[in-house]
Amino acid sequence: MVHEAVAATNAVVTLDVGLPGIVWGWIITMNMWAKSIGTGVIFMLFYLMKRYPEAAGSLRFPVTVVSIVFIHIFLLFTVIDLHQMFRFWHIFFTPHWTSAITVGAWIVTVLVLVLFGMAFATFIKKDNALFDKLLVWAVILAIPVTLYTAAIMAEATARELWQMPTEAAQMILAATLTGSATVLLMGGNLPYEAKRDLAVILGLSALAAFILYMSELVFGPIKAEEVAATLEAVKGHGEYTTMFWVGQVLAFIAPFVLVILSVTNRSAGLLKVAALSAIVGLWIVKHVWLVIPQLLPMS
Amino acid sequence: MGTFPETKRTFTPLRCNHCHNAPCERICPVSALHYIDNGIVNIDKERCIGCAGCVMACPYGAIYIDPETQTADKCTYCAHRIASSLMPACVVACPVEANIFGDLDDPTSNISKYIQNHQGDVQVRKPEKGTDPHHYYVGGGNVQLNPLASFRVEGHQLFNKLTTHMPVGGHH
Repeated sequence: MVHEAVAATNAVVTLDVGLPGIVWGWIITMNMWAKSIGTGVIFMLFYLMKRYPEAAGSLRFPVTVVSIVFIHIFLLFTVIDLHQMFRFWHIFFTPHWTSAITVGAWIVTVLVLVLFGMAFATFIKKDNALFDKLLVWAVILAIPVTLYTAAIMAEATARELWQMPTEAAQMILAATLTGSATVLLMGGNLPYEAKRDLAVILGLSALAAFILYMSELVFGPIKAEEVAATLEAVKGHGEYTTMFWVGQVLAFIAPFVLVILSVTNRSAGLLKVAALSAIVGLWIVKHVWLVIPQLLPMS
Repeated sequence: MGTFPETKRTFTPLRCNHCHNAPCERICPVSALHYIDNGIVNIDKERCIGCAGCVMACPYGAIYIDPETQTADKCTYCAHRIASSLMPACVVACPVEANIFGDLDDPTSNISKYIQNHQGDVQVRKPEKGTDPHHYYVGGGNVQLNPLASFRVEGHQLFNKLTTHMPVGGHH
């Protein structure tokens, strides 16, 4: 612990009121959205490798690259959101282990190392056995990486709308939603059955996430006065009503309907529209949910 | 407070509560927010990375990002003055002694005796948050202490529309 012991003559005057505005804005939305894709594709690759090992083999390198790119987008936006971004290394040298931010930073760092190891194994060393071993570790690490943002939000006790366990479920569903959508867009030489499986994951993730959001919307006010006040921003003529429903439609309702239609009609084109809609829609959904609790006056 | 035209104005300091179970201390990734031995929740601005986790965690809206230093800041209960055996500036400056500072563990201290004498009329802000605040209000009301208890147009507060981003007095 560092104790401040400034001489009285050097007293620092501080503001005793909170400054207005959204403190965690679109940069954090980008952070959560990119992380969902970065970890989600790893989950999907693991599933495909177990279920369709021959056909999915060609996805090893491209999925790893996509994961590395999106995890780095996530990291970039994490760092640039810091008001003192050049001090981010303090997390590694003065870590505070009760903080989910710290724990997450360390786990993501290990995940990035494993991802680079996977890229090295498949692209440079051409060692698929090594890749598959590392993939298991990547999946294990991707789970807490996906969840730790929910833990950060749970530690943000002032914002009751973000609390566990709903946020944890939403983070996992966001990963399976965007992960399946991204791999569907990547396409490749996957057989129809594999694409159908991804479509089912996409559709079910969309449905489950939609049910959770609607549960919060309908039953949320039972929990607390703050939750009720927060949700007013997305209800009726609230400030974020339009954005909220555009997000719900694009991220969940449209993909769910399109998945049903595409599976019924064996239409690959509809699946790509569903995937694109889910990826775009999730950004909007995350943004609304991130911003609205910050509209509440805390003091 | 009240309903027009029967209204009156009150002034309530809504500063950091120096919670015993402080969410800001818990979420801070680099221990920039930390306890000192006397229970004050202090901040080390040289260490703060400006992630604003503490701003999100504080149920009292008591922490902000200082636009000059780009780090979190809040009332430290003048920890630097306490270290020199001085009272916090707000206690010294208040002409009607509305702020009382002292050692709650010492039953003979002014604050202990004051709270003892006003039993039944002492409260903390948002006790349901489980933060165990160390800032007590005597004779306070819900309208003053709970921002959701009174309607504010578009969420604006009394001091919410600051036109300057410079802290009063500046920083060294």
